[in-house]
Amino acid sequence: MNANFKSFRQVLPLLVAIVVLLGLFRISAPQFLSVENLLDLAQQISVNAILAFGMTLVILIGGIDLSVGAVVALIGTVTVAVLVRGGLAPGLLAGFGMAAVFGAINGVCAARTRMPPFIITLATMLVARGVALRFNEGRPLAVPDSEKLFLALGNARLFGFLPAPVLLMIAAFGVTSVLLHRTRFGQHLYAIGGNREAARFTGIPLARNEVVVYVICSLLAGLAGIIHASQLYSAEPASGQGFELNAIAAVVVGGTSFTGGIGTMRGTLIGAIIIGILDKGLNQAGVHFSLQYIVKGLVVLAAVYLDVRRRRQ
Amino acid sequence: MNASFPTQVPLIELRGIAKRFGGVTALDGVDFELRSGEVHALLGENGAGKSTLIKILGGIHRPDAGEILVDGQVVEIREVTDADRLGIRLIHQELSLAPNLSVAENIFLGREPGRFGFLNRRALFASAQALIAELGLPELGSAETRVADLSVAQQQMTEIARALSTRARILILDEPTASLSEAETESLFVKLRGLCGQGVGIIYISHRLEEIQRLAHRITVLRDGRSVGTQAAAELNQNELIRLMVGRDLQARSLRPPERPGGVALTVRNLRNAQVHDVSFELRYGEILGFVGLVGAGRTELARALFGIDSLHSGEILVDGKSTIIRCPGDAMSAGLALVPEDRKRQGLVMTGSVAYNLALPWTREWIRGCRPDAQRRSGIVSRAVQSFGIKLDDPEQPIGNLSGGNQQKVVVGKWMERPPKILILDEPTRGVDVGAREEMFVIIHRMVAQGMAVILISSDLPEVMNLAHRLALYRAGRIVREVAAREISPEEVMAELTRN
Repeated sequence: MNANFKSFRQVLPLLVAIVVLLGLFRISAPQFLSVENLLDLAQQISVNAILAFGMTLVILIGGIDLSVGAVVALIGTVTVAVLVRGGLAPGLLAGFGMAAVFGAINGVCAARTRMPPFIITLATMLVARGVALRFNEGRPLAVPDSEKLFLALGNARLFGFLPAPVLLMIAAFGVTSVLLHRTRFGQHLYAIGGNREAARFTGIPLARNEVVVYVICSLLAGLAGIIHASQLYSAEPASGQGFELNAIAAVVVGGTSFTGGIGTMRGTLIGAIIIGILDKGLNQAGVHFSLQYIVKGLVVLAAVYLDVRRRRQ
Repeated sequence: MNASFPTQVPLIELRGIAKRFGGVTALDGVDFELRSGEVHALLGENGAGKSTLIKILGGIHRPDAGEILVDGQVVEIREVTDADRLGIRLIHQELSLAPNLSVAENIFLGREPGRFGFLNRRALFASAQALIAELGLPELGSAETRVADLSVAQQQMTEIARALSTRARILILDEPTASLSEAETESLFVKLRGLCGQGVGIIYISHRLEEIQRLAHRITVLRDGRSVGTQAAAELNQNELIRLMVGRDLQARSLRPPERPGGVALTVRNLRNAQVHDVSFELRYGEILGFVGLVGAGRTELARALFGIDSLHSGEILVDGKSTIIRCPGDAMSAGLALVPEDRKRQGLVMTGSVAYNLALPWTREWIRGCRPDAQRRSGIVSRAVQSFGIKLDDPEQPIGNLSGGNQQKVVVGKWMERPPKILILDEPTRGVDVGAREEMFVIIHRMVAQGMAVILISSDLPEVMNLAHRLALYRAGRIVREVAAREISPEEVMAELTRN
C-alpha cells in the first residue's frame, strides 16, 4: 500500500504534465481529444514505447543501446525479405533470430570486455544499418497484399477499434513490467545498475544478466521493426533513423536515472506518451517541424533537471 | 625540546589539532612541530591518525579545533591551493602523476610556460631539464620521457621534482619506500638528506622502523589520535618505538568467545594468484582466526580470492573436508561462505535501494517464485534481520543512505543471516563505525561464533583482533609469516613481526 502510494507520487508530476499538454492542444485544435485522434496517437506512440521498454532495462543496469534504430530497419528488412520467399513464420523466425544475434553481440561485448556500451552499440548500429542496406541494394521491399496477417500486425483494428500495435505495446509493457518488478531477474537488475561491485559481492551473476538485458532490448527493437514495416506496407532499410534517441528521451522523461539503478516501466510508458503527445500535438497545431525539435529538446532537459533536483532532496 | 637543535621558529607548528568523522575521533588534540632542515618521522599503527594529520596539512581535511602556524604565523589551510601557497607539498602513497605525459609536462602541470594559452614546449623541456640538473636527479634522464615508462622510484623523483619546482619548503612523504628496492631507497635517502641541507623540512611516514631510525632526526608517535610524544631518533631503539605505538592497555575484559573449537570447517592449501603467494591454513567451527597485517599486506586480496571475486592460479579449498571449486561468489555462497567486504558503500550496499531491498537481495530465491514475489516472506526476512541485529530505522523502505555508518554495517552483515553461512569472512567490520556500534558488532560476532560459525576476522585494529581472535595469522606481503594462538603472543611481538623488512 505504502510502496504503491510512493511510486504513484513519483509519477504524479508526469501525469499532471500529460493532462496539461492534452488541455493545451485541445485549445489549439478542438478535435485533438476526439476518440479517433487519441487512438491514432496511441498507435503512433506504440513503436517508440516498445523500444523504450527495452531501453529502460539497458539504462537501468547502467548501459545504453544506440543500435535499436538500425535494428528496427534491419529486422523489418530481414523479415520481409524472408517472408516474400518463405512465408510469415520463417520470416518472423529469421527476424527475431537476427535481433537476438545483435542483442547477444551487444551484451557479450558489454559483459566480457571493458569496452563502453556507448561505443559497442554505436558500432553495432553501423553494422546493422550496413547489413540492412545490403538487402535489395538499399531499396524498399514492398510487402505483397496477400500477406494479410503480416499487414494486420501494423494496421488491423481489434473489434474495429483497438489498433494492433497498441495491443502489442500493451503486451510488451505487461511482459517487461512483470520481468522488472516481479522477478528475481528484475531485482538483480536494480542491484547491478545501483552498485555493480556490491551486486558481484552478493553473488549476482553479472554477465548472464547483462547479456539477457541486451537481447531483450534487441528483440523488442525487432518487434518494433516488424510493426513499423507492416505499417509502411514495405521494409525500408533507411528507416528507423534516430529512433534510439526518441526511445532514450522517453526513458529519461519517465524518471529512469542515467547512472543506473533507479527507474520503473510505468514511468517509461508515461514518458513515451508525453513524447508522443508533444510530437502529434505540435504537428497538429501547425508548429513548424524545426520548432518541434527545439521544444522536445527543452522538455527532455527540463524533465531530467527536475528529476535530478528531486532526487537530491 | 632537544638541545642539539638551535632554537629557531619552526617551519610548521600544530597546536591541539582535533578532527572527528561522524562519531569517530580521528585526532584528539595533537601537537606537532617541524623544523627547517629536519626529517621528522610520524609513526603509529593503522588508524592512529597519521593520514588524517597530513591531509589536514595538505588542505584535504579541515581540523575541527586547533591552530596551524607556519613560520610562527597562524594560518588557515582550507584547500589544496592554500597548502601550495604556503609551500606544503604532499606526496601520496599512490602517485598522482599523469602517466601519458612526459616528465617535464608533469613537473609543470598546471603551470606550463607559454603565452595566450599556447604551450611553449621548448621552454617547458628546457626548464624541466635545468631543474633536474639543479636538484641532482640524473636518474630521471631526459625530461621528455613518458612517466609511464619510468620505474616507480623515478616516478617518485618526478613527484619530488614537481614539489620542489614550486619552491616547496615542507615535503610530506607517505610510505615513499613501499614499492622501492633497497638500492632505490638508499638513493632516495641521499636525495632527502641533500634537501634537508638546503633547509627543506620533511615529514616522513613509514611502517619500516629500521628505515626511520636511519633517516629521521626526530620521531613523533601517534596512538588513537593522540601524540604520545616526540623524541630524538637517536634516543629510541626499535623495541621502545613498538611499545610507544602499541602501548594502549588492552581492555581488561577479554572479548574472546570461549574456546570450543569443533571440526575443521575450512582448509586452504597453497592458494596462489597475483596477490596471494602460497597461503595455507585451517579454520575450525566455533573459532575466530584473525588475520593481522599492515595496510597493503594483501589480506583483502586473500578474502577476495577465497570468495571467488579474484581468480586463483592454483591451490585447493576444502569445505568440511570436501574439495570445493570456487569460481564466482555464487559458488562460494553455495559452499557456505559469506563475505562482509571492507568498503561497505562500494562493495557492501546498493546505495540506490532501501534498507529492505538490501536485506532481501541475497534471498530473492526465497521470496520470489517465478514472477510471484511474496511480500510477506520478504518482510519476514527483513524484520528478522532488523530485529536480531538491532538495526535502528524508521521504516524498512527508507533509503539505506539515511542510516548511520554503524547501522549500515549491520545491514551488510545482517543480509547474510537469513540462513547463516558456515564460514563468515569479516573484512574490517568495525571500520568507520563509532564506539557503540563497534561494541554491538563484537556482540554479534560472539553470538555467531557461539552458534558454531567459523569466522575469519581481518582487522587493522591490532588490539581488537588480539582480543577477539582465538588464533592469529600474521600476514605480510601476501603470505602468512606466522600462525600463533592469540593468548601466546604480545602486541609488541606482533608489531615487530609485521614491521620487519
